[in-house]
Amino acid sequence: MSHLASTNSSSAPLPQTPSTRFQAPRRLFSSLEGVFNDEVFFLILSVFIGMFSGLAVVCFRLAIDWMHLALLGPLPQTHSWRLFAVPSLTGLVVAVLVLRVFPGIRGSGVNQTKAALYIFNGFIPFRTAIGKFICAALAIGSGQSLGPEDPALQIGASIASALGRQLQISREKLRLMAPVGAAAGLAAAFNAPISAVLFVIEEVIGRWSAGILGSVVLSAVSSVVIVRWFLGSEPLFRIPVTTFKRPTELIAYAFLGIVGGLASVAFAKSIGYLRPRLKALPRWTQYFQPALAGLLVGLIAFLGAPQVMGAGYDSMDQAMHGQYAWKVLAILAVLKILATTLSFVSGTPGGMFAPTLFIGAMLGGAVGDLERIFFPHLTGSTGTYVLVGMGVLFAGFLRVPMTSVFMVLEVSGNYEIIVPVIVANTFSYLISRSLQPVPIFDLLTRQDGLILPSLEEDREETILRVEDAMLPVPATILNAQDYVDANASRIQDSPDSTFLVRMHPSGWNIVSRDQLQRLFQEGKGELTLSSVLSAQSLPSLYPDLPLDSALRYVNDYPLVPVVNRANSRQLEGVISRDSVFKKYGSGRAIEVPSPT
Amino acid sequence: MSWTFPKLVSRSAPVILLVLTLAAAIAFAAVSHLVSRFTANQQARGRTLYAQGLADASAARYDDAIAAFRAALTCDPSNSQYQLSLARALRDSNDPRRLDEAESYLVALWQRSPQDAAVNLALARVAAHRGSIEDATRYYHNAMYGVWNSDPDSNRSKARIELIQFLLKKGAPDKAESELMALATALPPDPASHLQAAQLFAQAGDYAGTLSQDREVLRLDPANPTALAGAGEAAYRSGNYATAQRYLQAAVNANPEDADSRQLLATADLILRTNPFHSHISDAERNRRITTAFAQAGDRLTECAQQRGLSLTTPSPLSGLQSRWTATKPDLAHLRSPGETDLPDTIMDLVFQIEKQTADTCGLPQGIDLALLLISEKREAASQ
Repeated sequence: MSHLASTNSSSAPLPQTPSTRFQAPRRLFSSLEGVFNDEVFFLILSVFIGMFSGLAVVCFRLAIDWMHLALLGPLPQTHSWRLFAVPSLTGLVVAVLVLRVFPGIRGSGVNQTKAALYIFNGFIPFRTAIGKFICAALAIGSGQSLGPEDPALQIGASIASALGRQLQISREKLRLMAPVGAAAGLAAAFNAPISAVLFVIEEVIGRWSAGILGSVVLSAVSSVVIVRWFLGSEPLFRIPVTTFKRPTELIAYAFLGIVGGLASVAFAKSIGYLRPRLKALPRWTQYFQPALAGLLVGLIAFLGAPQVMGAGYDSMDQAMHGQYAWKVLAILAVLKILATTLSFVSGTPGGMFAPTLFIGAMLGGAVGDLERIFFPHLTGSTGTYVLVGMGVLFAGFLRVPMTSVFMVLEVSGNYEIIVPVIVANTFSYLISRSLQPVPIFDLLTRQDGLILPSLEEDREETILRVEDAMLPVPATILNAQDYVDANASRIQDSPDSTFLVRMHPSGWNIVSRDQLQRLFQEGKGELTLSSVLSAQSLPSLYPDLPLDSALRYVNDYPLVPVVNRANSRQLEGVISRDSVFKKYGSGRAIEVPSPT
Repeated sequence: MSWTFPKLVSRSAPVILLVLTLAAAIAFAAVSHLVSRFTANQQARGRTLYAQGLADASAARYDDAIAAFRAALTCDPSNSQYQLSLARALRDSNDPRRLDEAESYLVALWQRSPQDAAVNLALARVAAHRGSIEDATRYYHNAMYGVWNSDPDSNRSKARIELIQFLLKKGAPDKAESELMALATALPPDPASHLQAAQLFAQAGDYAGTLSQDREVLRLDPANPTALAGAGEAAYRSGNYATAQRYLQAAVNANPEDADSRQLLATADLILRTNPFHSHISDAERNRRITTAFAQAGDRLTECAQQRGLSLTTPSPLSGLQSRWTATKPDLAHLRSPGETDLPDTIMDLVFQIEKQTADTCGLPQGIDLALLLISEKREAASQ
């Protein structure tokens, strides 16, 4: 090509050949290549993941709606034969697809995405997305008591993983693709980007990671933009007027939190008990389990509670506007727990987000209305209790306390109820945690034979810090500005073999007794210590850093200074290999005297 | 079995992004096509369900209408017309629990287009169902000054009339009257509208306004029997008996079956024949009327005491009046004396006191007694 270019330049103008015609774009691409470093490229890729996930979720939602209309009709009537015939027959089809064509798409998809991140290096087969799309749309559209959010999360993660593999990005980045796609999928399905980001951090990634936050947020926001472009920006529910006037009413919300916590435990325990038992049944029974679940859910609907079918957002909307008496709300909450448990443990693909919200909404409305019967002065509307109830179940059942608070705020767009939400969610979370120590998603992964990290474990874990292994400030600290002979005489009475040297104007270094004596013998006693020591400073640590961060230095340096964050010349203590290992071995904190 | 994409792109970042952009554009176009087809199908289905809902609502089958409108909204969730109709059906279903939901739909619509008169009117009706005068008045006013899709003048008048009826029902005639004033100035030259306004003025107790509106009707339709009767009654209630007599006579002539007007006419005639304070009568006629009224009052006193089984000799309001009546009777002879200028008033005051007291004790009288009572009320009103 360069040869062709020089020939052209030395002769008369010639008609452009294809090679010369593409020179400008190539130069442009070459210059652009320099712009895209790995981080920038990954961020841009996150936007594309969000777009593709958003488009997939739009199609997914259309598919569910279309299935629902085609199978159950626009106006499902109680006592119609369709109510139990459709979910049971569709259950058979779903079972065949799950067992024969798309293995590994059972359940919600949150655990599979988490497993992809921690076990399979971000690998989620693309067929999972296809299988999840078809089977979840069939199941939810036919009325199984499951929601579309968790499958959407897995579809997003699967798309991201496939894209990452196709682009042959590094293993490290590929591992991060799954949560980025998961956030996009969930945000699109839920129309709530903040809650989606928090959920992915709390439940999928399982730990706070600043490195991925930007990508997760970008993908979530871009997917929501796509969904709103196509399906409009209508919220999932029409939010009624919510009020919180008197602080004493917090007692009423706390009671709702307690009831919600107990309901969460009952829900989680019923799933935790039934799921392994149904899985342990002979394989041929698994072909009929979704059908049986569909039949029972349909029967509940046939007998007068069609609200329990599908995601149930319409019913939540009506509950929010006081359309049901408290007894009806309570019955619907119980029936939804039953229906969702049946649908979920049967292995039917579908999520638990929407059913959790449904149960919380009904329970919140029931408790609120009941409380108002006994205490008519309570000012909270039914809608307020319904909204708080949603958060309560989210906190208690899914065990995502932060997501639960932000979800209610994001869905309602009302910050007035933040205090009731926090109070009720805290009670629910604490009760659920004390009665059901293992969160539902962890329980499910353990039942599947996997152990994955969780933010809840992370929260409970005692983190060892540098200060826990820190030794007191040594009695002898040398000064780099002093002469070698002066320093040599200072260490004569010291029992230590290694000494820290305070460098000028800043920094620390280290010198051994042997090294100092050798310098003295070599006749360098009248030189300053700084002139004979290497210019490279000793790394220093801060007391609040995790102890893990000391490990990278203690093998190379016998002593590592621990300094004050406000003044790096102020020594707080020192770290040595022995002190670190001793701390890891004993698990007990070392008493460190005050630096004063 | 694992599915993988064919290797389509090179590792060059700009090329990758270009390919991704193209892929996104193609996917976007495909999903757009899919969504528009799906939306079109859904909208068609929604229209069918909406029509079904409208039919149910017009037949007052509100539960069916609500179900149909809800189903229509699942097909076309952002359709304002469906939301408005659902809200109306929820409101009209007479289930107080549904008012909240109706209101939330309407508030959402109102937030989208606060100038929409139909939405404001629907919200006003919800507020009226709740009995909130303040909210209802605000939304009715919004509806009056809002944007109507068709026939704005007529719709505005209807909205104001509805507000007036609501205010009258809630016992706020002062507010209703101020709305009526505004209504009267904007009425079209249509007898029916003026007739309705006249009835509303009458309900608000503003007989001058009633008379004015009925006169307007009669200007447009001189033989309108309802307006004649209305004008007659308004004049009668406002104490303008001569005018009342004229209109009521015309009303009875136009509609001989109108018993109410006939009765009012009879009373008006009696009043005009009995009233001693009428300005166009001679002194002799005035004295004759005073004498007749005095005698009538005495008879009424006796009848009332008998009716109630009271003795006019034992102390009571009636016996006190009887004593005064007996003491005043000789003064009738002095009516013709030129120096007794206060005597007619003194005698008629006693007559009016007797008529009022007997009305309180024995109920409303008939005939001349009723005429005397009404004359007393008119004089009292005039003096105040």
